[in-house]
Amino acid sequence: MTASVRPGSDLADRSDRPVWWLVFRQELDDLWIGGKALNLLILFAVLVSITAFLLATNSELSLTPPRLMIVVMIQSAITFGLFIGLVISAESFSGERERATLEPLLLAPAGRRQIAIGKFLAALSPWPIAYLYSLPFVVTLAQGDLALVPALAWGAVLGTLTTVAFTGLGLLVSIWSNSSRISLFVGLLIYILALLPAQLPGEFQATTTGAILQAIDPLEAVRQFMVSGFVDVLPVGELWPLLYAPIGVTVLILGAIFLYAAPRLRLEAETPGLTWPMSRGREGVG
Amino acid sequence: MGPDSSGPVSTPSDPILVAHDLSRSYGSRRALRSLSFSLRRGRVLGFLGPNGAGKTTAIRVLTTVLEPTSGSFEVAGVGSDHPDRIRRYIGVLPEGLGFPRHTSGVDYLGYFGQLYGRRRADARQTALDLLDIVGLRARADSLIETYSHGMRQRLGIARALVNDPRVVFLDEPTLGLDPRGQQELLAMIQRIARERDAGVVLSSHLLSEIEGICDDVVIMNAGQIVAKGTVAEILGRASVDGGGHNTIRVRVPTPSIDTAAALVDGTDRARTTDRDPNGWLTVDLADVDGSARDTDRNHLLDALIRADIPILGFEVAGGRLQDVFLQLTAEAIE
Repeated sequence: MTASVRPGSDLADRSDRPVWWLVFRQELDDLWIGGKALNLLILFAVLVSITAFLLATNSELSLTPPRLMIVVMIQSAITFGLFIGLVISAESFSGERERATLEPLLLAPAGRRQIAIGKFLAALSPWPIAYLYSLPFVVTLAQGDLALVPALAWGAVLGTLTTVAFTGLGLLVSIWSNSSRISLFVGLLIYILALLPAQLPGEFQATTTGAILQAIDPLEAVRQFMVSGFVDVLPVGELWPLLYAPIGVTVLILGAIFLYAAPRLRLEAETPGLTWPMSRGREGVG
Repeated sequence: MGPDSSGPVSTPSDPILVAHDLSRSYGSRRALRSLSFSLRRGRVLGFLGPNGAGKTTAIRVLTTVLEPTSGSFEVAGVGSDHPDRIRRYIGVLPEGLGFPRHTSGVDYLGYFGQLYGRRRADARQTALDLLDIVGLRARADSLIETYSHGMRQRLGIARALVNDPRVVFLDEPTLGLDPRGQQELLAMIQRIARERDAGVVLSSHLLSEIEGICDDVVIMNAGQIVAKGTVAEILGRASVDGGGHNTIRVRVPTPSIDTAAALVDGTDRARTTDRDPNGWLTVDLADVDGSARDTDRNHLLDALIRADIPILGFEVAGGRLQDVFLQLTAEAIE
């Protein structure tokens, strides 16, 4: 036996990388070398290209003004882009449970919260690439409109915000699910529900219920923000209330993950609350 | 491996793993009941039991993956109320361990080495050393998806050693391996215990492998211990509780089986009770628990040899761990 190894007890403080970074790197390898992120990005590219083609056709017929095309294109990039994060995160922990690769990770003296941070950041990694991919389409459709740059900047901010929220939502579902099929199904359901308010009939949207639904839906809030800000050209000061929903939902989800669910991550998904009484808040956290 | 300055204080003679009245329930079902035992450094403890006996639950509790419903345990002097610290002292090969497909063996071990606190270069070197130990050095850079089942099991054992643990838990490590693979893995497990001075908990329902390499045995059934002790103690107990029989099995060449049976039945202290097509004769000897018990066996063998009947095999019924296991688990069920 040739290995010269130190006893496990004095190893813990000597690592040159934090646990979240190690998990993040490992997850990136799995996602990008494994091809899953690439496959989802190809799907994204197809959807964005179709959207751009349809908008360009409308433009030829002078049916859609450039500003609206900018907004629709950015909104599409956000809608399709956050879907990638949702799908990846929704099967992160549940998928590991199914593949029996979670147990060794939980057996390492690594904080559960740090493991969750690493996976969360890795699931977010396709978003900037997806957004960058959509830029040429937006620039082309803008036809030199001055709203292009601020719209792209706001699109990046709001897209990141909503992608963080939906990726977090997927992660939360995954922590509490033993089956990736179930977590993906639940994630997809949430995604469809988030898209629903914009598809509701105009009369319903005008009702109180419709207004509430639109107010609490981050995707709808982003759409309204972009339309009001860059098509209706309302001042940003008047649009702030529209950001309450995406910011509030994002903060709520991140809090739920990193303050509640992640520290209670278990080998078998279990009802929240059934945790190690001796270690709660002390061991295995953070 | 010796105790380090930052670790708990323990001497080589102290048990490295102690369980006190551990219980674990899933709802109303009690999967583990009052599990108590201890393990010393350099020894291999066999966890025996039929499927569903609670072996995997016990290992998951002892490795901090599951919380005990009641009771406690200590690993290297660290109490079960500090699961994070315990994880630094243990290495685990879980049953049915999965592996990432797109990672090489050395990267996989290096990743876990870093998770356990090693610096990157140190983690890589340790990974290569461990791959050498488990015989996978030549495939260090191959993707794990190209490994055979046996190679993955060996990689899993290497991963369990990445932090140089004080206690190694191996849950059904030989499951699905061919006989040669089983033999090699068991030899490796024994080396781990001896050369690393680690305690090894080996869960299995393959009794022959436990008997071959374990120093101590815990036999479980329906979530509770039905027997524990050294292998010799367990076998001795079975010999005493042997159910009022002194039975041996002798294997002779099949053409000689009739001659051998006639010879046995011709003596006044033995009687053939069964014979099978492979040449095995089952013989009941007269002295059940008296002083002539062993002498009778020797005399019978002597008679066969004098008759020029080759002895191809010999075993004392009730003298194998398998017999003890069947006897004890049957008693527990009753």
